[in-house]
Amino acid sequence: MKRLSYFEYRVPKTVEEAIELFESGGADARLMAGGTDLLMKMKHGAMTPKILISLKKIDGLDTIAFSEKTGLTIGATALLADVASHPDIVEHYPAVAEAARGTANVQVRNMGTVVGNLCNASPAADNAPTLLAMGATVHIQGAGGKRDLPLEEFFKGPGLTALRGAEMVTSLSVPLPPAGAGAAYLSLSARGKLDCTAVGAAAMVTMKGDVCDDVRLFIASCGPTPLRAPGAEQIMRGKPISDDILEKAGEIATGEASPITDLRASADYRTRIIAVLAGRAIKAASKRALAR
Amino acid sequence: MKKFSIVGKHVPRNDARAKATGTAVYTDDIKLPGMLHGRILRSPLAHARIVSIDTSKAAALPGVKCVITGQDIPKVKYGNWRLFPDTQDEYALAVDKVRFIGDEVAAVAAVDLDIAEEALSLIDVEYVELPGVFDVDASIKEGAPVLHDYCPTNISVNRKIHYGDVEKAFAESDYVREDIFTVHAVSHAYLEPCSSIAQCDLDGRITLWTSTQVPYIIQCLLASTLEMRENDVRIIKPFVGGGFGGKMELRTWEFCSAFMAKKTGKPVKFTLSREEEFLAGRRRHPMKLYSKVGFKKDGTITGKDFRVHLDGGAYNAMGPTATFLCGNFGAMLYRYPSYSFQGEHIYTNKPPASAMRGFGAPQAIFATETQMSIAAEELGMDPIELRIKNAQVSGDKIPGVATISTCGFIEALEKVAQMSDWKEKRANPKEGRGIGIGCYSFISGGAFNWFNTQYPYSAAEVRVFDDGTAHLLTMAADIGQGCDTAVKQILAESLGLKMEDIRITSADTAMTPQADLGAWGSRLTLFNGNAVLNAAEKIKAKLFGAVSARFNLNVIHEFECKDGKVYPKGRPDRGLTFGEAVGLVQKANRGEPLIAHGYYTPRDKGLVTPAFSFGAQVAEVEVDKKTGIVDVKKFWTAHDCGTVINPRAAEGQLEGSIQMGLGYALSEQFIMDGGKTLNTNFLDYKMPNAMDMPPSEVVHIETYEPEGPMGAKEAGEGLAIPTAPAIAEAVFSATGYRCRDLPITPEKILNAIEPRERPKSAVK
Repeated sequence: MKRLSYFEYRVPKTVEEAIELFESGGADARLMAGGTDLLMKMKHGAMTPKILISLKKIDGLDTIAFSEKTGLTIGATALLADVASHPDIVEHYPAVAEAARGTANVQVRNMGTVVGNLCNASPAADNAPTLLAMGATVHIQGAGGKRDLPLEEFFKGPGLTALRGAEMVTSLSVPLPPAGAGAAYLSLSARGKLDCTAVGAAAMVTMKGDVCDDVRLFIASCGPTPLRAPGAEQIMRGKPISDDILEKAGEIATGEASPITDLRASADYRTRIIAVLAGRAIKAASKRALAR
Repeated sequence: MKKFSIVGKHVPRNDARAKATGTAVYTDDIKLPGMLHGRILRSPLAHARIVSIDTSKAAALPGVKCVITGQDIPKVKYGNWRLFPDTQDEYALAVDKVRFIGDEVAAVAAVDLDIAEEALSLIDVEYVELPGVFDVDASIKEGAPVLHDYCPTNISVNRKIHYGDVEKAFAESDYVREDIFTVHAVSHAYLEPCSSIAQCDLDGRITLWTSTQVPYIIQCLLASTLEMRENDVRIIKPFVGGGFGGKMELRTWEFCSAFMAKKTGKPVKFTLSREEEFLAGRRRHPMKLYSKVGFKKDGTITGKDFRVHLDGGAYNAMGPTATFLCGNFGAMLYRYPSYSFQGEHIYTNKPPASAMRGFGAPQAIFATETQMSIAAEELGMDPIELRIKNAQVSGDKIPGVATISTCGFIEALEKVAQMSDWKEKRANPKEGRGIGIGCYSFISGGAFNWFNTQYPYSAAEVRVFDDGTAHLLTMAADIGQGCDTAVKQILAESLGLKMEDIRITSADTAMTPQADLGAWGSRLTLFNGNAVLNAAEKIKAKLFGAVSARFNLNVIHEFECKDGKVYPKGRPDRGLTFGEAVGLVQKANRGEPLIAHGYYTPRDKGLVTPAFSFGAQVAEVEVDKKTGIVDVKKFWTAHDCGTVINPRAAEGQLEGSIQMGLGYALSEQFIMDGGKTLNTNFLDYKMPNAMDMPPSEVVHIETYEPEGPMGAKEAGEGLAIPTAPAIAEAVFSATGYRCRDLPITPEKILNAIEPRERPKSAVK
């Protein structure tokens, strides 16, 4: 591992100041929240930014806010550890809290952020599938102003996002789940309890009585970005949850993903597991929905 | 059982406080004035001839103080088997040829690490790539590329053991079982990467601080490669963060830091990165094991034919010993009236495999134990019953090896069955659950002398003072296993002192008595413990004489050192304090310091070891049959390590062994593309961590080993052996999948229990 090469470290006090620095730095500049991904890439020489812009000192950027009306807002520098334990999140968005708690280890959760995990745009990002399933929106600000984007349109490939030029994500918001909805995220990897996800599945299911009224299903680590499984969703809608239908949905979801072989699992294994995890995620989400 | 006051007690370890508070100084923590930082240039090719190396640009980089290649150093090969110089196949830096990706080609020392790193990129090496071989089958084929000119077959070691008539035994058997097993490489993954720093004094003598298990072996081999006298080289072992067999040879950075310190006059430090450790570091031998065992109808074993190919990687490293021991471990645990072993150590263009916790036994015994479980199933016997029927017992003779002096194996099997509720769980298994057994036996240090030393195998010096304290000096290397604490306990027990009365200086070859072959093969408690006892006995003889004279006692009295006092048994009133007795001895000898030297070299104990440990372990697992994920619910262990010197330390060894065994069985592997290791960090090298540790219960089976210090034998290494076969058997009983090919991956389980066509979507 190399030592960090020389860089300038800037600590803006406002979002506007950060964007200005980011714009003037151009391709040489990188924004940093927790730094748990970025600094590792720099230490391995995979990335050598000349200017690092820390977002940590921007007032209010680490906000975690909840209201029945607007839902949940998670600021760009809100820590994984804080999201994992925030009482409103634990109560109203347990799957969001679980995903944050399931990310990496204690040390990383105390440094890293949920928004950073999304902006790193790994197909295995632990926080993405749940937030996608729950219909989160990212709030983006750049030199040209502000815009909102559904999280579903945010990921463009491994390490690639829809951010353009000197834009940054200032926060993300998750709408209050509809009545009768529950969400769940399941992930699996070779080392059990602390590992990079080899296959993941997240679902938000809205139940009407025994029937699945609506479902949003996302598969992680089985394509260039977390992938939605619209065909599997379609077959679930209007049907009671049964092992048969879950199996069918899992099969369809398998066809909608594009797993490859890498260090963490073979394409064949991933293919077999997508169906299992998709079915289990839907089942767990529906159970949670019925328990509400 | 003897009564002890310090041995067998929960004595806190010497190093606990320093490690817990972060004040322990490891090699990389050492900073010397004017120190240079070294980096190593490694081969990007698995097999290639070096045409030329141009270091001029690197040497011209400001801040670079020294650049060396294989052409700049004495052409002295090294290796630990000095008795057989042919096996010494390594140069510190490649000469003419590289043989694996990561092979060391050049070294740079510069004023800081960044400059050293940059200098590496300025060295031009011209290679001619050669075809490589990456597995044992390819390597021994006719016409395969040859790695070392001296060894045209690529088979560098061939070991045979034969006793009894195996063929006759098979002919007379009712049931003969034949299997082939393969086991994979895993990393030692010690938390402290290798590190060394050398300084050269004005007389040209070298001091090397290094993270090693074998200070004396490093001293000798460094001296020979530098063409110096052994006593002009001083090795100091600071705190070491684990070795597990991976730090028991002279290595490139140790040589380079010393050679470059000599050349530049400045201290030079090398510390490996984790990526280097995974890319090029030593590893456990992958093996292909063919095993054939005969049984009578009632389960009695008649004989065994065991043939093993060890995938040694590019150099011998500790492979010859692993080959040797693999053959011995193949004949342990059970009574084999006839036994035939052939082990071949084979070169391939991969990072060299070497010693690793168990030293040939985890592989050999994975085969033994899995085959025993298969046989039990086919004979319709309970696996534990079949084991008890054939178990070795105290007094058993292993031809050409040794007599087993103490053996608590049957007791361990019975105990572990009871602890785990074995019978009930086997008879009424719960869905998805399974329970399995694995056993082990291990050596308490090696009695073989392939290092070819004239010194004792272990030595100790004890100095005692009239203030009632003692100073213990020993070359034994505490690498985290706790031998400093264990030998202090033994000395305190013997002299009747308290732990805090004893100062210990260890593993400094210029200060501590010659010699000690190091921390490997689970040897230090028995070997160094005996050396310490030997010195203590000599001190006590003098003290007893002084007390006897002082009180004009009848010469028939036997004496005792206890609670800081020296007195005749039965007349405690006629005694002195320990310090008073020391003072008297010194007075009687014109003030001569009271010092004694002790040593231990096994005598008449065969060529393998003076004593064997035994044990049995049961694992219970739950398997998710849809994903193939194995969740180990619990371990139960019963083991015989003789007298337990320090129960907490023994339990620590068990915990560490389970952690390693868990990784070996289920999650750890090197993912290779030809000769290239792809998973070079802890994210992708799946070592289990604290969260993966299942609960565990342990019982120590009490035996008293006559050859051991206060009855003790090994407790550190054997325990790493039973975990993989225990898990494998438990997975079998849960799923029907029998693993003959470690590791047990979720994919293998799924393929076995639910085979299916490869789906179309998986093609890309």
